[in-house]
Amino acid sequence: MKHDDPKLIDALAAEYVLGTLDGPARRRFERWRASEWHVERRVQAWEERLAGLALRLTPMRPSPHVWTQIEKRIGVAAAHGPRHPQHDVDDGRAVRRRPTQWRALAAGITLFVVIVGGFTAWRLTQGPQLQQLATLSSPGAVIAAWQIDADADLRHLRMVALGGAAPQAGKSFELWALPDSGSAPVSLGLMPEKGRAERELSEAQRQALLGASKVAVSLEPQGGSTTGAPTGPVLFVAERARRA
Amino acid sequence: MAPKAPRPAAGPIGLSPESDAEDLELTRLIAACAARNAQALRQLYDRTAPQLLACMVRILKRRALAEEALQDVFVSIWQRASQFESRRGRPRAWLTSIARYRAIDVLRAERAELYREAELDQLPQLVTEGGSDWSGAGRSAVALARCFELLSADQRRGIELAFVEGASHADIARATHQPLGTVKSWIRRGLASLRQCLER
Repeated sequence: MKHDDPKLIDALAAEYVLGTLDGPARRRFERWRASEWHVERRVQAWEERLAGLALRLTPMRPSPHVWTQIEKRIGVAAAHGPRHPQHDVDDGRAVRRRPTQWRALAAGITLFVVIVGGFTAWRLTQGPQLQQLATLSSPGAVIAAWQIDADADLRHLRMVALGGAAPQAGKSFELWALPDSGSAPVSLGLMPEKGRAERELSEAQRQALLGASKVAVSLEPQGGSTTGAPTGPVLFVAERARRA
Repeated sequence: MAPKAPRPAAGPIGLSPESDAEDLELTRLIAACAARNAQALRQLYDRTAPQLLACMVRILKRRALAEEALQDVFVSIWQRASQFESRRGRPRAWLTSIARYRAIDVLRAERAELYREAELDQLPQLVTEGGSDWSGAGRSAVALARCFELLSADQRRGIELAFVEGASHADIARATHQPLGTVKSWIRRGLASLRQCLER
């Protein structure tokens, strides 16, 4: 769409939010919205203007299975949220058979071992603390393509495929940092087609990511771009979450 | 079509003092979701799912289908939580939009079948259907309520059918026995008047 009449954009945004912008026009507008910030801003303004209409409905409590399903579906990500050390119940039972005077000391030692051991095991499985960095998604898609998490220093990346990007034979998806300075995109490696991948960034990649407020994924020959720059179409672009 | 002569703003419009505190709390929970805290998603769900479900059932006319779509909505909220931060808007508007767009997409995809199996007697009601009580909508809706009441009855009905029921232009034309062009112009002008009034 090439319209730049603000009145027209605003009218389209209003009907998009209302839901009366329909069919292919709705899909086109979704793509436009995702690529142009001034369009997105108008959509948001209308979302805020009209939201009150929905709040007048009497609430309905969802059936219990809804949450169970949600938990299952976000399982990949949720399992890597903050974890707590597990206490070992069997050790406690063994201690109970010993003479009383030793019991407290033994229990104390056991508890210490369990806590230290548990904490060490927890730290080992935990790896670096990751936070959401970006979610790559087609405009309007409910299921995103990838979620990218990173540690606070942006040294460690984890990419989780969410199912929103269909693998293409003989092609790979490659992740790029798009530096705000306008200098050339810097490759951050390939994206997993399913499941997840984790990697440590080189210092050059890390610096590029620090100076980029956007990341993108392009479609490249299998194994990635051979030129060091994106060669195929850019399929996904996302804002990088700002860190405190 | 100009809006009708101003009428006094309707009734006791909800001046709930908790609405700002609520915005802060929801914003905090969404940020925690972006930090991959699944507990926060659960809390967000407890606070907002009933409202979002009501909104989706009204559009989809079937509870089971709306509940399925509600799952998509919360998976989507989880995935897109970090995008909310950059927009700095009101959390309720963001959440409601995700839910409404999902419901509208499902509705457009499955329309014919939906109406055959509609559970029309079990749909959530507007607090007072067609009336002017906005007390459930909280303080953020004060201005909207005032401006909405300034629209003509036709404009109000058209916008409400579209927003609340997910009705298309053609649906509204059928429901009101009006030509499609007339309905389109009600809505276009109604939205323009709303905007003008809200920006005053």
